Amino acid sequence: MGVRPVLALPDPFLQRPSAKVGAVDAGALALATDLVDTMRARPACVGLAAPQIGVGLRAFAVDVTGHRKARSCHGELVLFDPELVEAQAPEVAREGCLSIPDLTGDVARATRVVVRGTGVDGAERVVEADAFEARALLHELDHLDGFLFLDRVASAHAVYRRKVYR
Amino acid sequence: MTHFAVAAVGADRPGIVAAVTRAFVDHGCNLEDSSMTILRGQFAMMLVVDAPEGVGAPELEQALAAPAAELDLVVTVRPAAEAEPPPPDSSWRVSVHGADRPGIVHGVTSLLAERSVNIVDLSTRVVGAPGNALYTMVLEVTLPPGSDPTGLARDLEAKAAELGITCRLHPSEADIL
Repeated sequence: MGVRPVLALPDPFLQRPSAKVGAVDAGALALATDLVDTMRARPACVGLAAPQIGVGLRAFAVDVTGHRKARSCHGELVLFDPELVEAQAPEVAREGCLSIPDLTGDVARATRVVVRGTGVDGAERVVEADAFEARALLHELDHLDGFLFLDRVASAHAVYRRKVYR
Repeated sequence: MTHFAVAAVGADRPGIVAAVTRAFVDHGCNLEDSSMTILRGQFAMMLVVDAPEGVGAPELEQALAAPAAELDLVVTVRPAAEAEPPPPDSSWRVSVHGADRPGIVHGVTSLLAERSVNIVDLSTRVVGAPGNALYTMVLEVTLPPGSDPTGLARDLEAKAAELGITCRLHPSEADIL
């Protein structure tokens, strides 16, 4: 399949909670490939969740490599059935989303997180992340529950029109 | 000193704020809270000014007549009662988004009004192509004493489902620092 179209609001699919993936089978691996291919095809995209490509499963890809705000960096990271284990030290920062291409918003997120999920090899993976990578993980985790950054913006004046997607 | 609420709206161009505030300076008024922004090319100013003895609404209106005429602004001035400070701990945020359609703001705010929920701040954005436009609204609200936020959240979600949109109630983030 490779690069897939990305759903955008107001598509209601983005607001649905996703179902568990369970065992990592050929279908799950194909999904992982599509997530990574689609993420790579978009300039400056650092993460993509399955619901964004129309798949209602708990899976996402994240890669913050080379981002100037990143500290921890696990490279290309695909997680199935991820869960937030720990979240600390919230900070407000500006976020965007491929599924809301015309807006950005200020969102408070933890800057230190521990996320546990299943990797592409089927083994449990525990990821400790901070700064920008933590924000990316939390943003993608939200997608799996049908939450978008618009649901979390910090105030009535924290939504902005985006000039250029980059 | 007396407080006045002043509103001015007109097609955006450089110099509106300077021209309007000059009228206040000339009359010894202090600017207090204000909110000014461009809404689709219209510059909207809302402000509260503190005027000295002897300066009333007619004097302010007269002082504002010249900049209003020059810049094609609609200006209103009215006395403002002293505001009660809001209770510190009942602040909530409502996030609304969905396909643009008439009646979103009215539908959500009518439900809030029925519950005596007070809107403190509200802003909306419409983006995207006509026919598939996304409407977003974020409100900061205060709940009256004894309210049931869980019930309100449920009713807001039901109202949102009726309107085909998403509506979520969250406690406002506590100040982080």
